This record gives sequence, C-alpha cells and structure tokens, in this order.
Amino acid sequence: MREPDFNDLATRLVQSGIPRRHAHRTVDEIRDHYDDLVDAAIDAGVTSREARYQAARELGRIDDLVSEMSARRELKTWAFRYPRAAMVVYPLACLAVLPAAPVNAGIAHAPLLARWGASLLAAGLFTAGLLLVLQLSILFG
Amino acid sequence: MAKSNPPFMSGVPELLLLRLLNNREMYGYELVRAIKEVTGEAISLGEGVIYPVLHSLERNGSLIARRKPVGGRTRVYYSLTQQGRGRLQDLQEDWRRIQTGIETALENPGHA
Repeated sequence: MREPDFNDLATRLVQSGIPRRHAHRTVDEIRDHYDDLVDAAIDAGVTSREARYQAARELGRIDDLVSEMSARRELKTWAFRYPRAAMVVYPLACLAVLPAAPVNAGIAHAPLLARWGASLLAAGLFTAGLLLVLQLSILFG
Repeated sequence: MAKSNPPFMSGVPELLLLRLLNNREMYGYELVRAIKEVTGEAISLGEGVIYPVLHSLERNGSLIARRKPVGGRTRVYYSLTQQGRGRLQDLQEDWRRIQTGIETALENPGHA
C-alpha cells in the first residue's frame, strides 16, 4: 500500500464541505497519527519501508475518512448544511454588496477622485467661459 | 480507517472517548491505543471513526482541543469540558440501562 496522499485528503475534505482550516487540522492530525504508527512499527523491529507499508494499511483508505467526515453535518460549512438557503442568500448578499462597491472604492480613493473632479470642473468652467466669450463676440461683434 | 464496527456500536465511540478523556487529556493516536487496551482489544476504533467523533464532540462543546509541542511535533490534545462531563454522565446512564435490558432479555428469552 502506498503512502497516503495527505494533500489529496485536504482537497477532498474541503470539496466535501469541511471548512478549509478544519480540513487542514484534520490532515495534520492524521499525518501525525501515521508517523506514530510508523514509529511504533519500527520500534517493533520492522524495516522503515515495511513500517510505512504497515502504517498505511492500518490507517486505511482516504475515501473512508472523507466519507465519515462528510457524513457529519455539524462539521460542514454553513453553505453545505443549508444549500438551498445558501443558493438564495449568497446571490442576494452579492446584489446588496454590488451597489456599495463603487461607494467603497470612492471612499478608498477619495483624494484621487477629488483631484479628478476638480480638474473636470476647471476644464468645464474654462470651456464654458470660452463658449460664452465666443457667443458674446457673435452677438455684439 | 481500516476498522469497521457493527451497527449496534452507534454511540459507543463517543462514550469511550469521553470516558478516557475524563481521566486526562489525550491525542488521537493515544486514544486509539487506549481504547484497544481498556476494552481488551474487543473494540478497535479506526481513524475514520475517531477523528470525526472527536471533532463533533469539540463542535458541540463537550471537548476542547489545544495544540501542544511534544518531541518536535505539534500534537492536538483533547480534554473534557464541564458540558462533556454531563454528556458522559448521560451516556453512561443510557448505556447501563440498555445493558441491563439486554441482559434481562438474554437471561429470560421467553419474555423477550
């Protein structure tokens, strides 16, 4: 039996709805457990290679752990526990946040926007002044 | 993850884990070994069972987990909370009631 693919375990736990932080903690614990099994086998007198083989066999299939974890609803993220509600709430939250996005961007870049606005105003006033002079020269010229 | 338990074992892992953690804080591998030892190897919980149960117990407030560096590794140790002690008490009472009921049924099959 090959050494367990712990990266794959983390990915699959996250895909099954376990929060990322929790999935990584689980993987750390399982990896630690595997190392303990290897150490125990080596202490029992087997070779390092045989110890890893035994530990992997004792640890079992990654599929089984993923299915046991994902069978526990309380360990899953909110969106996985209430998928129908999430399908309604998430788009609504996005819609609510969408109009606020330019406002937030405006607040974040307020000095730049103020300079840009002042430049536009000055340019507009200058153009209007030129047009006024032109108009007056046509009327009274 | 290799071990499997019969369907009537439902609730037993939780009871055993709480019972062991009532004495002192322990980590996953230590718990797997301790369960084998205290049950005379009659019950063997695999990693596929123990970690989801531990995490569920932590989620419902029966256990707290803390990371502790030991011998170059950072282990996650679990210990019982006050709520966990209450849960252990309830589970023990349930288990004894069931045990008595089953023993009675086995001794008096005619009335079962």
